[in-house]
Formats: sequence, C-alpha cells, structure tokens
Amino acid sequence: MSESIQQYIPIAMQFLVASGFVITTIVASWLLGPKVKTLHKLDTFESGLQPVGNARMQFSIKYFLVATIFVLFDVEVIFFYPWAVNFREFIQEGFEGFGKMLLFMAPVLIGFFYVIKKGALEWD
Amino acid sequence: MLNLVFLIPLLPLTGFLILGSLNNRLPKTIVSFVGCGTVLGSFVIVLTLLSGTLSGTITSATISYFDWIYAGDLNLKMSFLIDPLSVLMMTIITGVGFLIHVYSAGYMHEDSGFVRYFAFLNLFVFSMLLLVMGSNYVVMFAGWEGVGLCSYLLIGFWFKKDAYNDAAQKAFVMNRIGDLGFLLGMILIFTTFGSLDYDDVFKNATSVLTENSGVAIAITLLLFIGATGKSAQIPLYTWLPDAMAGPTPVSALIHAATMVTAGIYMVVRSNILYSLAPFTLDVILAIGLATALFAASMGLFQNDIKKVLAYSTVSQLGYMFFALGLGAFSAGMFHVTTHAFFKALLFLGAGSVIHALHHEQDIRNMGGLSKKLPITFLTFLTATLAIAGIPPFAGFFSKDEILAAAYERSPVLWALGLAGALMTTFYMFRLLFVTFFGTFRGTDEQKHHLHESPLVMTIPLMVLALLSIIGGFIGVPEVLGGSNFLKNFLSSVIIPYGEKHEHLSHSTEWILMTTSTLAVIATIIMAYVIFVVKKSVPAEDNKISGLQKLIYNKYYVDEIYDTLFSKPVTFLSKIFHSVVESKIVDATVNAVGKAVSASSKILRLSQSGNISYYLYVMVIGIILILFINNIL
Amino acid sequence: MSKLKENFNDKKMTAVIILSCLGIVSMLADIFSYKKALWYIVLAGVAGAIVANLNEKSNAIIYDMLLTDNYAIWFSTLILALVLLWFMVSKDQYESGVYNSSDNYALILFATVGALILTSFSDLTMMFLGIEILSIPLFILAGSNKKDVSSNEASLKYFLAGAFASGILLFGITFIYGSTGTFKLDKIADWANAAGSNLPALFYTGILLVMVGLAFKVSAAPFHFWTPDVYQGSPMFVTAFMATIVKGAAFAGFFRLFYTSFTSASGSWALILSILIAATILTGNIIAVYQSSVKRMLAYSSIAQAGYILLTVLLSNQEAKYALLLYIASYGVSTITAFTVLYHVEKIKGTDTFESFTSLSQTHPLLSVVMTIAMLSLAGIPPTIGFFAKFYLFSSVLKSNTSYLWLIMVSVAGSLVSVYYYFRVIIAMYGQHEPIISSEKKQIPAFYNVLLLLLVCVIIILGMMPDVLMSIDNL
Repeated sequence: MSESIQQYIPIAMQFLVASGFVITTIVASWLLGPKVKTLHKLDTFESGLQPVGNARMQFSIKYFLVATIFVLFDVEVIFFYPWAVNFREFIQEGFEGFGKMLLFMAPVLIGFFYVIKKGALEWD
Repeated sequence: MLNLVFLIPLLPLTGFLILGSLNNRLPKTIVSFVGCGTVLGSFVIVLTLLSGTLSGTITSATISYFDWIYAGDLNLKMSFLIDPLSVLMMTIITGVGFLIHVYSAGYMHEDSGFVRYFAFLNLFVFSMLLLVMGSNYVVMFAGWEGVGLCSYLLIGFWFKKDAYNDAAQKAFVMNRIGDLGFLLGMILIFTTFGSLDYDDVFKNATSVLTENSGVAIAITLLLFIGATGKSAQIPLYTWLPDAMAGPTPVSALIHAATMVTAGIYMVVRSNILYSLAPFTLDVILAIGLATALFAASMGLFQNDIKKVLAYSTVSQLGYMFFALGLGAFSAGMFHVTTHAFFKALLFLGAGSVIHALHHEQDIRNMGGLSKKLPITFLTFLTATLAIAGIPPFAGFFSKDEILAAAYERSPVLWALGLAGALMTTFYMFRLLFVTFFGTFRGTDEQKHHLHESPLVMTIPLMVLALLSIIGGFIGVPEVLGGSNFLKNFLSSVIIPYGEKHEHLSHSTEWILMTTSTLAVIATIIMAYVIFVVKKSVPAEDNKISGLQKLIYNKYYVDEIYDTLFSKPVTFLSKIFHSVVESKIVDATVNAVGKAVSASSKILRLSQSGNISYYLYVMVIGIILILFINNIL
Repeated sequence: MSKLKENFNDKKMTAVIILSCLGIVSMLADIFSYKKALWYIVLAGVAGAIVANLNEKSNAIIYDMLLTDNYAIWFSTLILALVLLWFMVSKDQYESGVYNSSDNYALILFATVGALILTSFSDLTMMFLGIEILSIPLFILAGSNKKDVSSNEASLKYFLAGAFASGILLFGITFIYGSTGTFKLDKIADWANAAGSNLPALFYTGILLVMVGLAFKVSAAPFHFWTPDVYQGSPMFVTAFMATIVKGAAFAGFFRLFYTSFTSASGSWALILSILIAATILTGNIIAVYQSSVKRMLAYSSIAQAGYILLTVLLSNQEAKYALLLYIASYGVSTITAFTVLYHVEKIKGTDTFESFTSLSQTHPLLSVVMTIAMLSLAGIPPTIGFFAKFYLFSSVLKSNTSYLWLIMVSVAGSLVSVYYYFRVIIAMYGQHEPIISSEKKQIPAFYNVLLLLLVCVIIILGMMPDVLMSIDNL
C-alpha cells in the first residue's frame, strides 16, 4: 500500500510544479502588468474588423448538421490512409484486401446516400 | 379395463364443471341427465373393475398420471390404487350415489337451487372417489377435504336460514379438528417412512415400526382422530345430528352411506399400521362401543324423523369402529356395505314421507301413513328389519359377524354390543310404528295432500330395498353354509389380525345367533305393544322429565362443549381483538406504513430535475465509494 | 475474402450481421418507400436473427474479441425474443404518424446489436463499444418525440449523464489496463488470481470505477437520478425498451465481466456492491410509493428491480446465471406487458396517472386483467413467473452465502413495500366505481387483445413451469 503511494510521488510533484507554474505566472502577470482600461480593449475581437450586432445570435441548425456530417465523413476517410499505404502488400495476397475495403465502403456510401436523400445537405 | 380408470372421478368432475359454470341457464331435465348420467357413467366403469377384481384379473394396480407435488424429498404422484377394497368402496359410492342422484331429481324438483344442488352433489362424488381411489395419503387427504367442503356446502344448502348455516359451520369446524389430527398423522408418517405412498408405507411398516411402539401408537391415534371427526365418533359426533339441516337425499348420501364411512375406510386401508398398535385398537374399541351405546340411547326419545336416523347412523358407525377395534376389519367393511344400503333407504324413505307431508319432520304429527304411502312403507319396513338384524336381511349377517368377533374377545363385549342392537331395534320400530301405524295426527290440509312419491323417487327405494334384502349374502358365515365371500375378497388387502384368539365353535355361533335374534324379536314385540296396541304417542317437549328429558336433550353435550370450549375461546378472542389486534398489531402495521410513505414524501424531493445536481450527487457517490473502500 | 466466407460458414456472429443489415434496410425504407412492409420485414429479420443465434457455433472465439459461449447464446436469445416482442407491441405507436418508423426502427436495431455484443464480449474494449452502440441510439430515441419538450429534456439529460458515466467507465478500464496490462477478460482473471489477496490500489479502484459506470447503466442508486426523468419524458415504448432490453443487456454485461474477471478479487468490491444494492432497493421502492404517474412509478420500480437483479452479480456463481436469466425474462415480459397496457390507457384517457386507471375493469375488462397479472408478476406473487424468479434468486443467494441474510431481509422488506404501489393500480381498476363516460369506451384493436392474452399466458405458464429456463445446460 505505502509502496504504491510512493510510486506516485513523482506524479504528484509534477502536478504541483505544473499547477504552481500556472498559478504563479497568472498571478504575477496580473500583479505586474500595466492596467489600461479602454473601450476598444473590452470589445469583441472580430478579426480586426468593426464588430456588428450581438455575438449571441441564433444560427441555423443546418450549420451544425453540415459540420457534423463533415466531421463524420472526414473521420471515415482517414481509415483509407493506412489501407492505401499497405495496398501494395494486400494486392499480392489476392483480392481479399480490396473486398474488405469495398465492404467498408458500402455502409459509408449507403450513409452518404441516406444523408442526401433525407435532404440533410440542402440548405433551404 | 384399467385405462378408463381416470374417467371414474373425471366424469363427476366434468358434471360439476358443466353445471357449476352454466348454472341456471339449463333446463332441469338436462341438469338431471348430466347430474345422474355422469355418476352412472362412473358406475358402469366401476362395474367393469368389479368384475375384474372378482374374476381375479385385477389384484392390486397402481396407476400414476402425473407428478403432483415434487419438492425436495417429497415426491407425490397423482395416482390411483385399484384393489378389492377401493373397488368395493367405489361400487358403493357410485352405485348408491347414482340411485340417490335419481331420487334427488324428483325430491329437489321444485327447489330453486336445483342446478347448484346437482353441481355440489357431483363434486361430492368426485371428492369421495378421489378419497378412496388415491394411492397415497395426500390424494386421500385431498378427497377428505373435498368431501368436507361439499358436506359443508350441502348442509347449508338452504343458506337463508341461520340455523342451517350454523349447522354447516359446526360440521365444518368439528371436521377441521379431526382433519388436524389426520394431517399431523400424515406428517408423522412422512417423517417416519420418508414417503406417503401406501406401497412404501405398508411394505416397510413391519420393519420400521415395532409393535406398540410410541410412533406406531402416535401415528394410528392421530389418524383415528381424523376418523372420529369425519365419522362422527365421540367426542366429535355432535355435528352429525345437526347436519340433518341439509336436504334429505344429502343426508342419505353423505351423512349415512358414504362420507361418514371415510374414517372406517381409512382405518381399514391402514390396517397394517393399526395391527402394529394394539393399544390404539383398544382405544378404537372403547370409543366405538361407547358411541354405539350412547348414540343409540339418544335415539330412543327423539321425535324428529331425521334426527332418529342421524343418531342411528352415529350409533351404527360406532358399531363399525367397534368391529375395527376388535381387529375384525372385514366385518367392519361388511357393515359399511350393508349399512350403506339400508341407511340410505331409511333416509330416502324418510325423505319420501317428508316430501308427502310438505316438510313436516316431527313424528308426533304423522301416523297411519302405511295406506297412503304403500311403497314407502314397505321399503321402510324392509330397511328397519335389516337394521334390526332379522335374518335373512342384510343387517343380520354383518351385525352377527361383529357380535361373533366380540364374543371371541369377551362375552361382556358381546352383551354390550347386543344391548346396543336392541336399543337400535327399539327406536327404529318406535319410529316405524309411530309414523306408519295408528291414525294421522297432522293437519287436515296435510292429510288432503297426502300422496305417494313419483316413480323417480320410489324406484331407487325399491332397488335399495332389494339390496337391503340380499346384500347380506356377500358375507354369509361358514356356520350358515356360506364361505364369507367378502372376507376372502378383501383378504389381499387386510392382513389377518387377532389369530391368537380361538375361533368359536359352530355350536356357540348358533347359540349366539339365536339368542340375539330372539332378543331382537322380543324388543320388536315390546315396541309393538307400546306404540301400536297402546297407541301411545311421544309426549310434548314440555311434558317430559327426568332421565327422558336428559336423553331428549342429548345429555346436554352441546351445552357442555359450549361452556368448556366455545365460551373460553370466545372470551380470549375478544381480548385479542380489543387489545392485541387493535392496540398492538394494527398500530405497528399502521406505523410502518406511515413511516414508509413519510420517507417517500421526503426522499422524492431528492429528484429535483436539475441535471447538474444529479451529476454532483453521482460524483459524491463515487468519492464515498472510494473512500469507504479505502478505510475498510 | 476466404476468411470472411469462413466466418460466415462457421456461423459466427450471424445474428449481429443480420441485425446490422436489417438496420440499414430499415433506414432506407423511407427513401425507397416500402415503409408499409417494414414492420413485417423487421419482424421476419429479428425472427431470423433468433434462429441464427440459436445455431451460432458454440464457444467460438471471434477475433479474440467475442466469445459465443452458452451464456452469450442464451442471453442473446432472450434479448432478441424481447426485441421481437417489443416490435409487436409497439406497432401502434409507430403507426400513429408522430414518429418516423424507419429511422426509429433502425436505431432500435442498432441498439440491439450493442446489446448482443454486451452478452458476448471477451475484451474490455468490446464491452465499451457494446455499451456505446447500445446507448447512443437511445439518446436520440429518448428525444424522438421532437415536438414534446419533456422528450427533448429526457434526451439531453440522458446524453449528459450517459456521457459522464461513460467517462467514469473508461477511466476504470484504463486503471485496470494500467495494472494488468491487458483488456482480455480471462487474462485479467488470471492476473488477479496470481496476485492473490495483495491487489494494488490501482486495480481495485479500476474495478470500482467500472462498477460505478455500469451501475449508472442499470440505474442503481445513487446513480439512478437520470432514470425517472428520462423514463417519464421518453415516448412510451422507448421507455419500455430502455427498461427491459437495455437494462437486461447491461446486466448481462455487468454479470459477464464480474463473473469472468473479478470473482477472485471480490473482497474489494462485494461490500460496496451490497451497500449499493440495499440503497437501490430502498430508494426505488420507497420513492415509488408517492408517485402519481404510473409511468414514473414504473421507472422507480425498475430501479428497485435493478437492486434485486444486482444480487446475481454479488453472487457471481453458476447458479446466479440461471437466476439472472430467469429474472430478466420475468421482469422483461412483465414490464413490456405493463407498458403496453399503460400505452393504451394513456391513449384512451389522455394521461398516465393512477386516476386514469379508475374503474378500468368496467370499460376494459381485458386490459384490467392483463395489467393485474403484470402487476402481480412484478410484485412477485404466485402463480406468475415473477414469484418464481424472485424466490429462486433469494434462495440461491442464501444457499451460497448466509452472511447476506441482512440483504435478503432488505430485499423482502422492499418487495413488501412494492406490493403497495403495484396494488394501487389494481385497486384503482377494481376498487372504485365511477360513472362511465362514453368516450372511454374506445376499444383497442383485436391484434392487441390477442397479443396481451398471449403475454399473460407466457407470464403464467412460465410461472408454473420455470423448468423450461432452468433446464439449459452449462449456462
């Protein structure tokens, strides 16, 4: 029991040092830094442009939908990379590797088809 | 032959289910056909079994249908035992039962509860068959309870009268006391033998139990307590006279011919156990004889036609137990058989009289009925001769066999038995003479309406009369040139007991027979002189005194029981009701209920609906779990 | 390709494959407009999956991830049977037009795939995947009544709490991996056996965190708070699905993990679990007493029932498997029956309060009888299956370890309390007589009458002959 706790002493020290560093720097900058309060400083940062209207406005839900679908297919495409890298070896063993990828592709394509048919990508 | 056995109890059960579920939607004709037909069907199948047992093709067959109860060491099968003893009982139940069903179709025709009546009667036949057919004690017990239930339902059949309901309850409670004994006996058998099957128990009886050992006596005594309840023996007999509240055919079937003999059947069935406990047999002997005499004396001064017959039944049952106590098991069964015929006949005859007089039961208001009701009179006379034991009527042979067995043991027992028989003769002839002879003492309206019962009622009377005449020939003793057929028939089931006593010589038997017959005839003449020649009529209730009053009031046994048992129990019950029940039990239960609903009221507030609060509690839970785990 | 073919010829995972394809087929029903035939297709597919599952090659190891032993096969069969039942009873809800049946069915089928994985995993990662495949469709299903605010609320609450619990579960799995160096259940068991009584804190903390994560899924106290809100807000049959199939699968997984891997380390978690059980039984039963909505009452009752079922995990022996199978079957069938009746009552009367059951026996005698039997079974009263399940469970706990007597006493006390609120429904149906409003005489379709009668028969027949489930060899 005591032995296993001793094992964690380095971690605890690391934890202390890390949090200590963060706290120290924040407190130090707050204490040491000059305090200037102007109107511009409290403004919303909008890529250097003049801010227009309230930042808390309503978005169309479509925005999230498209974003989610993008991330989804993005992740699925990543699975192609390791397969593509090893394709040369797969082809030597026949068509099994190719078949497996087709099997993977099929649900992805069905999903894509579903998304289109459901009208998820139509903006209006 | 044996593959139809399951139909024997099933047919009456079907009848019950049909009648019970359709109730008043059927015309009475169909009801009678279903009610009687199902029992007739069973009777026909029983007859095939009877011929099988007579010809020897069936000696003892156990037929299992399914596992009924299978728990731990206890394995009970729903199975039937077909052997001479059960076939004999089945024949009586379905045969006499069928006749009484037919009779009932006439007797109960005007009753509004006609369908209910037949449904119960069918259920009774089913339960009774279950009782005698079962091949283990539990099936027997199921039937035992079933007949108790039917008896209760039928005694209180006219439930609108409080007195009848009380009678039904009395019967039920008395029977429950006995049943408890039976149940304890069964449990003791199970703990001793590890089984409740007749086969296992009887086969191992001699090796497991030693003669007159405590266990053997305990088992047999407990079972006998059950028998005293069901077969109305001292001290549990008081329900049977009250049970006459039910319709008369019910009294004939249940409280004379079949159910009340269940106790005797049970003792005979367990004769192997009983022969290992001579002490119990002595107890049975004493109780049987006491009941026979006691009940017969009470019959002497009763004025209700059915009450007389009821005490007579108690007395005759005492006779049967007397026989069993002597170890004469087959004589007991013989008397069961003949008694079933003539006592059923007596009740049905009484029913016919009551029917003719529109529910008049007091014999002081009868008289001179022999001309108006000739068939009833003749059949009633036959039965009376049979019960008195005039040769060659059925009762003579069975009674003689019991008396002979008593003489073998001791002449004193014989004399006491004979005294009982003479009392029986006296009150039966008193009943016969007062009812059928002399002049009619009822109202003019009753006189005007006097009529013989319809054929549907008289035919069963005639059949039973025939049986009362010839029924005795199944057990003609050797001394009269017979071979005691019944004894041989039952020999495979009943082990011989009491061989140590010497058999009576033929000359002694002749002397005994002649003496008893002559004494009976003398008693008949005495009754004739008193009630026909002198034309005396039993006195009014308020004019009797002394011993007669004591007897007329049944020795005040009911009142004694009431003071000894009922009143203290009622008193205790009141205390428990007012103090323990309401102040302690109810209060505790209510407090628990209130505590639960109060805590529910508070705990449900923990469900605030705020998700961050939920997560917060979860985290606290996790921390607690880890904490508890580390400190323990 | 050859290996794939081999798998298929070996009859491995066929039920999972069938259900996945069925899910896709169901998803496309809207697009190719065969929605009307969908119910029949799904029913046939699930029935096919049951057959395939029964023919599954026994004790096959699939990619070192799944193990189709008898336990897996029979629990999968039970779950599939419940799913089949669910599709039958829920037909009316998805024909009403409020829900998109093709999407909903697809989600249910995918969730079922997760349930099947939970019965057969042999690797912690598979267990996690199974739980997630099971849960994620349910987050959506809980909110499938889009226009109902409480349904949306249920969805969000379920999602947040579920994500939280998944985090804890993963945390626990990491700890276990950290101390044992493996995800394989049997290897973990070997490791724990070798370690004997000298277990590192990392390992048993891991066990406890996994236990917490799973306790959340089966809604054991104090991780049950999401249950009443989610059950009440979700559409009726989604709640029924969560209360029976999801819970059953979660228990199958819970038991499988603890029975296979952690029995030798039971010293470190048995006490905590028994406290959780006692707390769950008491909380569920006591709060249920004061509810006015029958649906919410059933939610609390499902919490209480979870407490009883957790006894099997505590027991973790061969007999407990039978107790678990019997209890899930009993609880599943009875609960689905109760929810079906409740659905129809709510449809007729408009609410799901106890008052809506008032004098139901006069207008709908069949519904009342069915509800009565379901309540009797849940309360554990003979001759229903619920009685036998409870009896067998309690007796097997006492048989193996008498030191849990206190726990059984708590359970029995809880059952007594439960009789109160289950009988409230029965009393409402039969006790009071109120004048019947003509609109209440709306009868339910004949198809449901037959189905409900069938369910009642199952409850009673299984109650009389529980041997059917007890006679499975080597569960």
